[in-house]
Amino acid sequence: MNVDDAESLAKPRRHQILPGFGLTMGYTITYLSLLVLIPLAAAFVNAGKLPLGQWLHVLLAPRVLAAFRLSITASLIAALVNSVFGLLIAWVLVRYEFPGRRLLDALVDLPFALPTAVAGIALTTLYAPNGWIGRFLEPLGIQVAFTPLGVIVALAFIGLPFVVRTLQPVLADLDEDLERAAETLGARPVLVFRRIIFPALLPALITGTAMAFSRALGEYGSVIFIAGNIPMVSEIVPLVIMTKLEQFQYVEAAVVAVFMLLLSFAMMFVINGAQLALQRRHQAKQ
Amino acid sequence: MSIRIEQVTKVYQGVPVVNDVSIEIQSGEFFVLLGPSGSGKSTLLRALAGLSHIDHGRLSLHGRDVTELPARERGVGLVFQHYALFRHMTVADNIEFALRVRRMRAAERRRRRQELLQLVALEGYDDRYPSQLSGGQQQRVAVARALAHEPAVLLLDEPFGALDAKIRIELRETVRAVQRRIGMTTILVTHDQEEAFALADRIGVMQMGRLLEIGTPEDLYRHPATRFVARFLGAANLFLGEVSQHGLHLGAATLTPERVTPVAQSGAEAVLVVRPEDIEVAPSDGAPQSRPFAAGFVRALTFAGHQQHVSIELAEQSGVQPATGNGHDGSGMTVDALRSAADQAAVPLTVGAGVKLGVRRMHALPTPISSFHLMATDGEEASSLAESALLMQLVRSMQARVIRHDDPAQRNERMDAGICVLPLHANTPTALRAAVANGARRILCIPRSAPLPLRMLIHAGDTARRSDLLALVSSVMRHLPVATTAVTVQRAEASRSEMLEAQRLLLDTRADLRGAHGLDLRGERFIGDRTAWLSQLSTQSDPVLVVMGLPGRMSELSASLPRDHAPLFTSASHATVLFAIDPVS
Repeated sequence: MNVDDAESLAKPRRHQILPGFGLTMGYTITYLSLLVLIPLAAAFVNAGKLPLGQWLHVLLAPRVLAAFRLSITASLIAALVNSVFGLLIAWVLVRYEFPGRRLLDALVDLPFALPTAVAGIALTTLYAPNGWIGRFLEPLGIQVAFTPLGVIVALAFIGLPFVVRTLQPVLADLDEDLERAAETLGARPVLVFRRIIFPALLPALITGTAMAFSRALGEYGSVIFIAGNIPMVSEIVPLVIMTKLEQFQYVEAAVVAVFMLLLSFAMMFVINGAQLALQRRHQAKQ
Repeated sequence: MSIRIEQVTKVYQGVPVVNDVSIEIQSGEFFVLLGPSGSGKSTLLRALAGLSHIDHGRLSLHGRDVTELPARERGVGLVFQHYALFRHMTVADNIEFALRVRRMRAAERRRRRQELLQLVALEGYDDRYPSQLSGGQQQRVAVARALAHEPAVLLLDEPFGALDAKIRIELRETVRAVQRRIGMTTILVTHDQEEAFALADRIGVMQMGRLLEIGTPEDLYRHPATRFVARFLGAANLFLGEVSQHGLHLGAATLTPERVTPVAQSGAEAVLVVRPEDIEVAPSDGAPQSRPFAAGFVRALTFAGHQQHVSIELAEQSGVQPATGNGHDGSGMTVDALRSAADQAAVPLTVGAGVKLGVRRMHALPTPISSFHLMATDGEEASSLAESALLMQLVRSMQARVIRHDDPAQRNERMDAGICVLPLHANTPTALRAAVANGARRILCIPRSAPLPLRMLIHAGDTARRSDLLALVSSVMRHLPVATTAVTVQRAEASRSEMLEAQRLLLDTRADLRGAHGLDLRGERFIGDRTAWLSQLSTQSDPVLVVMGLPGRMSELSASLPRDHAPLFTSASHATVLFAIDPVS
C-alpha cells in the first residue's frame, strides 16, 4: 500500500472535483438490477416452483448428470491446456521482438471477436472425419468431431484469450532485473523460471485459467456444432437446458440453470479465495 | 589485478555505446564509474556481470578470463537500482538463494545468512517479506544477497538512485563500511558526482561510450583533462587564456600551474579551469589578496546555507575571454564565485556592487582544441561550416568556443590558436596554403553536408614527437562516438625490418595514447602508397575522419601539404580531414 492509498483511506469523504455521486450510483444500481440481479432472481423464482425433492430428480437424471460430468471435465481440461499454451504464447508475445508480432497479438483476440457459431462451424469442418485435419487423425484412430474430444477443442479455442490477456500485462511488468539477479547468483535458466518467474506469474495464471474455465462452462455456440450432441456422450449442460426449453419444461430448465449458476458462484469464491491466499503469502500485509 | 577490462566495445544499432574502454582495478579498490545517463557506464557494468554480450575486448576477474562465461559462472555480486528482490520470498530466502543454488547445507546457510544480516545491520529481519521493508532496508538486503556466494567482485548499478536524500547518504556509508570491512573489490555506477566523491578510491568518468578520464576524486576535480570532466565534477569557470614558460595567464593574472600540461608550449592558447571557490571577490576600492584578473559587478547572490553563490558580470574590456559560446570577447561574460561564511563576513556584497576579482588557483586543460576558428570566404559558407554535423557535435560535447572569421581581409591575425576550420572543396588547397603560411597548425577540413563520422583514422606518419598529435586525437576521441584506428601505410614490397618498424610504431602510438590519456585504439595496416590510401579514403561511402600527423617545416609544408593530399580535395571526396602539423624549426 502506498502513501496515497493510505491517505485516501484516512479521508474517505474527500472532496470530488466532479459532482453527481447520487445520480451515477442510481444509474449503476438500476443498470445492474435490470441486466444482472433481476434475471438471476427470476431463475431462482422459476426454479422455486418445483419442490426441493423434485430438484434431485431433475438433476440426478442420467442424461443431466452425464452432461454435467462432460461440461466440467471438458472445461477443466481445456482450461489447463490453455494455461500451458497461453503462458507460452504470452511469453513469446511479451518477450520477443519479431516481424508479425502485432498480427499474432491481434490473432489472440479472434476467439473473442468471432461469432461462436462461426468458430463452431469452422472447427467442425476442420476436424470432421473428412475435414482437413480430421482426415489425418482418422487413420490414427483419433476422432475429434462429435466426441468429447471435440468439445475440449472448441472450449480450448474460446478460452485461450482469457489466459493470454491476463498474463500479458503481468509478464510485461515483471522486472527483468529479477532474472538477471537470479542469474548472477548462479541459477540456471530452468531454475530461474521455476523459482523466480513462475511464482510471480502464478496468481495471474490462476485467474486466467479460472476465467477460461468459467467461460467454457457456459459456452454454447461453438460447441454444439462440433460436439454432435449425442446424449450421454457429447452433450453439454447448456444444451440440456436448451433441450428442456424446447420441450417446454421451463421449470426443469430453470433448475438445471440455477445449479449451474451456483456452480459458477462457487467457482468465483474458490478463485478469489485462492488469489487472496496467494497474495497474502507473496506480499504479506504491512 | 582484480578486474581487468581490455578494449571493450559494444555496438548498439551501429553506434558504439561502449567504445574501446580499458580499465584495471586493484584488489580491494572501490571504483566508481561516473557519467550522465546514456554514457555507457551501466552497459559496461552489465557486460562485466555477464548480462550483456560485448562485441570486442576481454574481461578478466582475478586473472580469470570471463569474456565467454555466462553470468552464473562469473562469480559476481550485482546490486540493482530497484533492488530486484524476489518479492515472494522472505529476506532469509532471498539471501540464501545463491547458497541454495549451490546446494549448501541448511545449517551452514543459516550461519552465513546471520553473518550477512549482521553486516548490513538487519539482524532479526529474516522472516520479513521485501514489501514489509523500507527502500533503504530492501537495498541492504540486496547487498547482503549479492555478497552471499562470496563473489569475486561486487557490482553496484546506481544502487541509491531510488532512495531519498537522507537514506541515500546513510546507505552510502553502510556500503562503504561493508566494502572496507570485507575488502571486496567494488565497482559502482552512478551519475551523481557527490556520491562518487564520497565513495571512490578512483573515479572513471564516462561519456558517449568513452572512458574520458580516470583518477582519484581530488585529482580529477583539481586537474581535469577535458571540459566535460571539469564541469561534470562541479561548477567551473572556463576561460581562454595562455600558457607560457612563466605560467598560466588569465587577463592580468599569472599563476604557476600545479601541473604542467602537454600543451605548455610557449604562447599557446589554452583552456583555463577556475573553480568558483578559487575566485576571490574583493570590493572595487580594495585589492584581492590573490592574483587580480578582472573587474565587474555583482549580478546575483544566492544563499546556499554555509556558502554563498555570487554571479559576477565582467566589465567590458576586462581582457578575459570565455572558453565557451560564440561571443567575440568577454564583455557581458558571467563568472561564478563561491564564498565561505568568513568571506561573507569580511566583504559583504550587495547586488549591483562593483567588485574586483582575484584568482587563487587555476588549471590548464591539456587539450589543443581551445577554440574553433571558422575560416570561410563568406557568411553563407561559414554558416554551413558551423552547421556541419561534426562541428555541431564537437562544439556541443566540448562546449568549445566558435569564432567566425568571415572576412578574408582580416585574416592576418595569428592562426596558431585552437583549430582552424576550412570548408573542403576544390579551392581548399589555396586556403590551406594561406592558413599554413599564417601559422595554422591544426586545420580541420569539412566537406559540405558531410554526415557525422563513425570512424576516425589516424595516420601518425613518422612523427617522432607524437605527444601533440595524441593530445589532439584524444580530445577528439573523448567528444565523438567514433571507433578509432591508427593506420600505417606500407609498400607492398616492404622489407621485413620496415614491416616490424611500422608494427612497432603502431604499438608505440597505442601505448603512448594509453599512458598519457588512458584511451585505447586499434591498429590497421594499409598495403600500398599514401596516395593510394588517400584515394581509397576519398571514395569511401561511410563517413570517416582522417587525422594526418605531419612533421616538417611550416614554410615547406605550406606548399607540400595541399599537393601531397590532392586525392582528398576532389569534389567526390566525403572524408573529413584534420591536419596536425608538428613544426620543425
